Amino acid sequence: MSLTQDLPRRLSASRGTRAGLLVLAVGIVCLLLEQSLPWLSIWPAEWTVPTTQWIGDGLGAVLDALKPAMRAVSAVLEYPMAGANWLLNTIPPVLLIGLVAALGWYLGGALMAALGFFGLLFVLGSGYWSESMNTLALVFVSVPLALVLGLSIGILAYEVPRVKAVVQGVLDVMQTVPTFAYLTPLLVLFGFGPVVGLIASAIYAAPPMARNVLLGLERVEDEVKEAAVMSGGTRLQQLFLVELPAAMTQLLVGINQCLMAALSMVIIAAVIGGFNDIGWEVLLTMRKAQFGQAFLAGLVIVVFAIVIDRLSRALATERRRYDWRIGAGIFAACALIYLVTLSSMPPVAELAWFDGAAASVDQSVGEFTRQNGAGLDSLKNSAMFYMLLPLRIGLDQAVLPFTWGFQWTPAMSAWFFLAAAVIAGAAALSGRTTLATVLGCLAIILETGVANLPWPFLLAGVAGLGWVAGGWRLAFFGVGLLSLILLAGLWDRAMLSLYLSGASVITCALVGGALGLWAALSKTAWLVLQPICDMLQTIPLFVFLIPVLMFFQIGEFSAFLAICAYAIVPMIRYTRHGLVTTPPELMEAAQASGATTWQSLRDVRFPYAVPTILLGLNQTILYAFSMLVIAALIGTTGLGQSIYLALGSADVGLGIAAGSAMAILALVADRLVQGFAKAQREALGL
Amino acid sequence: MAHAVETRGLWQVFGGNAKSSLERELKTGAASDDVASVLKEQGLIPAVQDANIAVAPGELFVIMGLSGSGKSTLIRSISRLVEPTAGEVIMQGEDLLKASKSRMTELRRTKMGMVFQHFGLFPHMSVIDNVAFPLKVRGLKRKERHAKVREIIEMVGLAGREEAYPRELSGGQRQRVGIARSLAGDCEVWMLDEPFSALDPLIRRQLQDEFLSIQEKLKTTILFITHDIQEALKLADRIAIMRDGRIVQIGTPTEIVLNPVDDYVRDFARDVPKGRHMTLDEVMEPINGAALSEGGPQLSTSMTLEDALAGCAMSFEPIPVRDGDGKVVGVVRPELFARALGSDT
Ligand SMILES: Nc1ncnc2c1ncn2[C@@H]1O[C@H](COP(=O)(O)OP(=O)(O)OP(=O)(O)O)[C@@H](O)[C@H]1O
Ligand SMILES: [Mg+2]
Repeated sequence: MSLTQDLPRRLSASRGTRAGLLVLAVGIVCLLLEQSLPWLSIWPAEWTVPTTQWIGDGLGAVLDALKPAMRAVSAVLEYPMAGANWLLNTIPPVLLIGLVAALGWYLGGALMAALGFFGLLFVLGSGYWSESMNTLALVFVSVPLALVLGLSIGILAYEVPRVKAVVQGVLDVMQTVPTFAYLTPLLVLFGFGPVVGLIASAIYAAPPMARNVLLGLERVEDEVKEAAVMSGGTRLQQLFLVELPAAMTQLLVGINQCLMAALSMVIIAAVIGGFNDIGWEVLLTMRKAQFGQAFLAGLVIVVFAIVIDRLSRALATERRRYDWRIGAGIFAACALIYLVTLSSMPPVAELAWFDGAAASVDQSVGEFTRQNGAGLDSLKNSAMFYMLLPLRIGLDQAVLPFTWGFQWTPAMSAWFFLAAAVIAGAAALSGRTTLATVLGCLAIILETGVANLPWPFLLAGVAGLGWVAGGWRLAFFGVGLLSLILLAGLWDRAMLSLYLSGASVITCALVGGALGLWAALSKTAWLVLQPICDMLQTIPLFVFLIPVLMFFQIGEFSAFLAICAYAIVPMIRYTRHGLVTTPPELMEAAQASGATTWQSLRDVRFPYAVPTILLGLNQTILYAFSMLVIAALIGTTGLGQSIYLALGSADVGLGIAAGSAMAILALVADRLVQGFAKAQREALGL
Repeated sequence: MAHAVETRGLWQVFGGNAKSSLERELKTGAASDDVASVLKEQGLIPAVQDANIAVAPGELFVIMGLSGSGKSTLIRSISRLVEPTAGEVIMQGEDLLKASKSRMTELRRTKMGMVFQHFGLFPHMSVIDNVAFPLKVRGLKRKERHAKVREIIEMVGLAGREEAYPRELSGGQRQRVGIARSLAGDCEVWMLDEPFSALDPLIRRQLQDEFLSIQEKLKTTILFITHDIQEALKLADRIAIMRDGRIVQIGTPTEIVLNPVDDYVRDFARDVPKGRHMTLDEVMEPINGAALSEGGPQLSTSMTLEDALAGCAMSFEPIPVRDGDGKVVGVVRPELFARALGSDT
């Protein structure tokens, strides 16, 4: 009797199990037919569509048509840029330092004044003053453009509800399109030169502003808006006299993000060259392996980022303003110093207070790598051979006599799969059928490697995940977009990118999750971790490359480290945040029921934190993809490399196609994770 | 004489295709209750159903009802903060629903004023700028508009706090700002949506009194929303009671208390001491040849039962009060009973 009752229940297995079984079945079939039907593992070139060429031709025509107009724009923009450049390079450094310190005082008191003063003093002493001013000039011209653009887009989305969904979609996509991909078409449009960096950073920095404008306007209380209506304001009056000013805090947050994005992009755009800015300096010294100097220039960028970030954040968060007269005093003091030292001041380019330090950094790094070269190499090699390579090309190809000490044979594959089947079978018998199917799929991935995965298996996997996380629509969305990559013939490269970002994301999830947990449990831990996280999030992407290069040279492992260093932050933050914001009454209920700390963590806090942690994972994925492209500078394969190469040869078709493929990967991952987060939130009734 | 505000068959239905669905149902000629239930079945929200009110110039008209009964939606459709789905809104002879956008702006500047439950103050403006905002949008210069609103600020008792920001004010003060702002334009129809609900009882009573004295001075037409029966009875010339989007009864406070049309209305009036609202003309009987003694208490038709009772009790002798042992320890005058039981007014 129990059997007949059990049977229907067993047959109506959970969604996860059904999807898992399907994916597993597709995987097994692909593996079995691998030999007889090679097109299952490698998408034949005849089946691809010359997308890259089409895009190149189509867009090329459009760009050619636009070119004259854009060149004119470019010519017009030369003026403000030359102006800003002239101004910043003409103002005596000491006066500018005084000005920034005074501004720092006014916005945030003594701390901010000191930050501004010593920060810029450091820049002056580094000897990179004029390069820094060139960078700053770009930021100064691009930020107003980005602000106006962002404000207009935000207001438009707010005013016209029908446009809103479209705008939000476009902003989402813009966030996932890699930064380098912007540059190629702009390069064709505007020609080599700083204007490309300017426009790119304006385009790149506008979305955060637009988002914040929209958010701020939507958050203004309804009654405030209605009061403006009932006071007899016209629509424009309502908007500009009431709604925008009432949303000011959010707008200032937008300005802060806009500034940081612009700075980051201006520095990335240095790869185009031709402006003698600080990013270029980093690139140059890095290429020449002058790590001490690269490090110094990188520090200058970091200092800039921190000063700009903290000052503009004080603008947004501090309500209190400090006595401007003291600020004026600070400025006057600096002016006095300037007058006194007028005659004895050497030209800024000759200042080199820290060159000694840079040289000694160079030396000690050299020393360190020489002494610990073996250790560093073995670290790098073990990570490569035992983790990255197997993940990339699979155990069957990565296990070689000279790395692992033996040769992988088909018999081993058989044993490996048998062992996996036993473990999965055990899991299935204990009732965890979904887990069992997942284990089976993981075994397949590990044996073949991400780069060699049969494409039907991966598509089925995405379809399955999509279906479980968000139903048919999400499944179709994922499969449809990924098929485009397949058709475009970018699959191999996409898989290489997927593998590297996947490896980094997994690492970040594990390490970052653990750190987040630690920070949630211990206040001291968070005191240590918080400033590090703040710092890592402020630093422009580019700078992450310097330290990893110093110790691990060019290569995939360095890229992996750089990606991890950048992408781990959201994982830490969100994990901690999710865990510490469990409602106190839930915790108390658990305590009252006699749960130990560990039990309440596992059974109450963790499930409750899952949606938040998933959002963190989502951010980590997006961060990893954006860093992946930058990491192409230090040697990665895959889409990032293609994008970078396209930039070098001004190949619009390749740049856009590879950029879109990257965006597709990011977008699909984003939607899948968001789907799971949403499902979990609904399950918790949040 | 033209009504200050009048609505005829006003409907406000929320949801997709509200307009066409409502039109289709209204064409069938069904009773409005049936129309509403059909709309609800279609997943629409008929927040105001077939509202008909007519408010006389200078009248203080209170709209009352439980939370979600559609009070706010009614005055928001009258002021066209939401676009009514069907019906007419006539303000001093003009059909508001036919007014163009710019005409509406004009009307809001010259005829309407509105006070909000949570004040709706502009957080980035000082008190005086908040109050002067309606003049600012009309293009008055800063000096002019500040000069104009000083008097209003004084009237609501905020003199001296002109430069403060909303976040620095207490709840009561904030609502004074809201009131002042709604009066800064020329306000002929004054709409207040639960203006005192967010305030604690003492401040609420104080503001009610001030509100009455302002009304005394200005004599504007008022639409006042509340869910507090005491407040309604204290302020209203007439009260409209709403339930689930329908107006179930309109009447003077006395009518509402004494002749509720159904249990819903009766429930509202349950805790109201009837003696304080019923007047003698409602209980007195014809003379019918009864012998009337001269002297005794002076009663008149407009007196409440409570006051009359106190008056009547005066004609009794003081009555002795004894302790547990039966010893007389004091006296009580019956008229004190009436006063002590009666009220705190
Ligand atoms: N913009 C809207 N869209 C959809 N439904 C709405 C909208 N505004 C109000 N409603 C619905 O209309 C009904 C009446 O709401 P309304 O705000 O008028 O009630 P109320 O009587 O003012 O209640 P309260 O005392 O809580 O303020 C409610 O069921 C509400 O959910
Ligand atoms: Mg309301």
